[in-house]
Amino acid sequence: MSAARDICFHCGALIPTGLIIEEQRDGETLRFCCKGCLGAYLLITGAGLASFYSRRDWQEPGLIPDAYKAVFDDAALAAFVRQSGDTATVDILIDGIRCASCVWLNEKFISRLHGVHGVRVNYATNRAHVSFDPSVITPAQLFSQISELGYTPRPFSRSEAEQSASREQRDLLIRFGTAFFLTMQLMAYSFGLYAGYFQGIDDDIKYILQFFSMLVTAPVIFYSGWPFLSGAWRGLKNSAPTMDLLIVIGALSSFCYSIYATFTGGEVYYETAAMIVTLILAGRLMENHAKRRACSGTERLLSLTAGTAVRLTGNQQEQVAIVDIRIGDILLVGAGERFPVDGRIVAGSTDVDESPATGEPLPVLKQTEDSLIAGSINLTGTVHMVCDHPAADSFVARVARMVEEAQSRRAPIQGLADRIAALFVPIVLLLGTATFVWQYYLLSIRFDEALMTALAVILIACPCALGLATPTAIVAGTGAAAAAGVIFKGGDILEQLSRTSVALFDKTGTITCGVPKVESVIPQAGMDFQKLAGYAAAVESGSLHPVGKAICLYAEQNGADQQLGTELRTVAGGGVLGTVDGIPVVVGNARFLQEQGVPDLPVHDSAAPGSTIVYLAIGGRCAGTFFLTDRLRDESGTVLASFRKQGIRSMLLSGDRAETVQYIANILAVEQGIGDMTPDAKTCFIEELRAKGEQTLMVGDGINDAPALSAADVGCALVGGTDIAIETSDLILVKPDLNRLLTAYLVARRTMAVIRQNLGWAFIYNLIGIPLAMAGLLTPIYAAAAMALSSLCVVGNSLRLTVNRHG
Amino acid sequence: MDESLVLLMILSLFLGCGCWLFFVWGVKKGEFDDLERPKHRMLDDDEDPKGKNT
Repeated sequence: MSAARDICFHCGALIPTGLIIEEQRDGETLRFCCKGCLGAYLLITGAGLASFYSRRDWQEPGLIPDAYKAVFDDAALAAFVRQSGDTATVDILIDGIRCASCVWLNEKFISRLHGVHGVRVNYATNRAHVSFDPSVITPAQLFSQISELGYTPRPFSRSEAEQSASREQRDLLIRFGTAFFLTMQLMAYSFGLYAGYFQGIDDDIKYILQFFSMLVTAPVIFYSGWPFLSGAWRGLKNSAPTMDLLIVIGALSSFCYSIYATFTGGEVYYETAAMIVTLILAGRLMENHAKRRACSGTERLLSLTAGTAVRLTGNQQEQVAIVDIRIGDILLVGAGERFPVDGRIVAGSTDVDESPATGEPLPVLKQTEDSLIAGSINLTGTVHMVCDHPAADSFVARVARMVEEAQSRRAPIQGLADRIAALFVPIVLLLGTATFVWQYYLLSIRFDEALMTALAVILIACPCALGLATPTAIVAGTGAAAAAGVIFKGGDILEQLSRTSVALFDKTGTITCGVPKVESVIPQAGMDFQKLAGYAAAVESGSLHPVGKAICLYAEQNGADQQLGTELRTVAGGGVLGTVDGIPVVVGNARFLQEQGVPDLPVHDSAAPGSTIVYLAIGGRCAGTFFLTDRLRDESGTVLASFRKQGIRSMLLSGDRAETVQYIANILAVEQGIGDMTPDAKTCFIEELRAKGEQTLMVGDGINDAPALSAADVGCALVGGTDIAIETSDLILVKPDLNRLLTAYLVARRTMAVIRQNLGWAFIYNLIGIPLAMAGLLTPIYAAAAMALSSLCVVGNSLRLTVNRHG
Repeated sequence: MDESLVLLMILSLFLGCGCWLFFVWGVKKGEFDDLERPKHRMLDDDEDPKGKNT
């Protein structure tokens, strides 16, 4: 350990001459490179965690040294910088932000850099917006400072679609804010009018109040209600009347009626018109917010493929944008980086984590001529790869295109509310016209009076209650679901989900945990579990491989003897070699142990299909076997059983081996378990089901599930899955817990029941109100009272969804 | 009586419009874009108020 003289005991960095700080501990002299490292050491030992220093392993450091040493090039970054006068701004997507303190650290750190004017980091999107003086600091310096902090900065330019989504959200917020403010003003006037109705009011004052009411209502309808007006117009043009049309007819009829009443002296209904617009805008706003919260992974999805790569030309390395990579280019990909394009390895070998693309949890060994998927992560070694497909044609891009196609194939959803509107609007208009004809031509009533009666019929027939029936229930339902950890990306999803007849599940990461776990250990004669686990953990400590992590976890949980492994060496795709107490120890798969000359490996036929077998050899002799399986989630069985009880058929669709899938399908007693499925096959399978008239629910988490998720009537993703899966799904479980899926289903069922009750109530109201209005018998105060009562009933009924969730 | 009523109503509308413009300005400035971070901001330590001292 002669080298240890000049190496900091804590951080392992070389100690610059003359800066040594020494600390005496247990008769040993420890050397540190700075006070900070000494402080960290004292903190760690003070907390009784001194074994950290014996457990950690410099040959397999936790952080891959090259991982964040990307080179930043001003020329490549220039495209992302916007300049105005002396100030330039750049948007940076900071990878690695996990919590509020990461945001804090980045904000403070960047703001202290010389030349930076201001910085704001958005917690939801992990994006930093930095304004700086380009004559003092260059973007490349900015980027390398952030990367030295341990985060990975990527240049970011907002996509067109995202910009318009953000504009839309602001627009909606302003419309709602305006409507809310004006409606409050309106309510004040209305209360004066209500009081005046009962206690008598001077006609002049009544006129003033009504006139001001009209002034404040007009912008609510024509500015705030503009989305409804244009939606209604679109519906009319396509001769498909929607809920928007119903809202517009209700609001406009009461507004027109009230204007007439204002100038001829009657009772007004401005608050009805304003209130319906305001309340429904509030619902839209909440729905949009939920949707945006669900979509905050977009940027991270983009970062899978966006950015730069290192191209090798002869012996020259250059930083190139990924879009500029041509077929045949040789690229250098360091450990910890993502592969920028699809291609093959030409030199070197490494373990590759393909889970972002395929959802499969175990790293795959890739050697020369093995193919690589863009977006997957290079875990252990630096390799040279040759590009086979340009970025626009990579696997991820192809999947994204497939998703788009599946989405465009999806039939436009006609929600319950719209179906009712389609039926209801013509009837109402017909009734109104009939009333007018009847009164004017048959009863010879004055033209304006007949028109007013007709308007009153429409006003009564399109009450708030009908307009509010669906949105309030959906807002309350999605709110209750969100509190239970389920995010619906739209109100229509509730309805779709409540009618599910077939539920399809991806296997890895959805039905199973997606992380291997030591299931059982079989020691050879003369060995015990403790010793076995201790030795294995000693050589696997610090391993990045999921199997290594699983073994260490197992050892820790079972209180195995802690030992120190030295001379550790990882062989990609094989296992780990090391020395414990001077005895050579080998952990790895059968082939690896045979290569290392370990004889007589036991054969285990009885192992469950799908389990990974890892052997341990101590001193050249096989000492025992570890069985690892990707365990079923604890709740999988009960959730599937509940679905069965609800009359929903379940199936497993997986890209895994058919026998493994069948084995799990049998355990869970699901109807069908189909393996070896490509993303395309999953999509086709779902489309066949839909063609047969089934209402499908797909639950998955990988990129390979994404097309299936959007092809299904309802796609459900688990948080922790890949971003593209979350992006394409309609329903998101914020914790990977299938019980929440069941909750979501029950909430959807309950919400639909409440919507039906609300609509039923609104119809009863209509049944009584319309004949009275047609006969001209409905006096304004009864009409107003009935309207308020029905609206209250509907809102109150919807609010039931938020309480007593599990009732 | 009527005149004062009209005057007061117009005045209240003007006051309200002021608040409304303030709100619109806030939305346009992007004050409502990130609803997560600000609630954590109060936990940050106060720095030297002059800031940017390295």
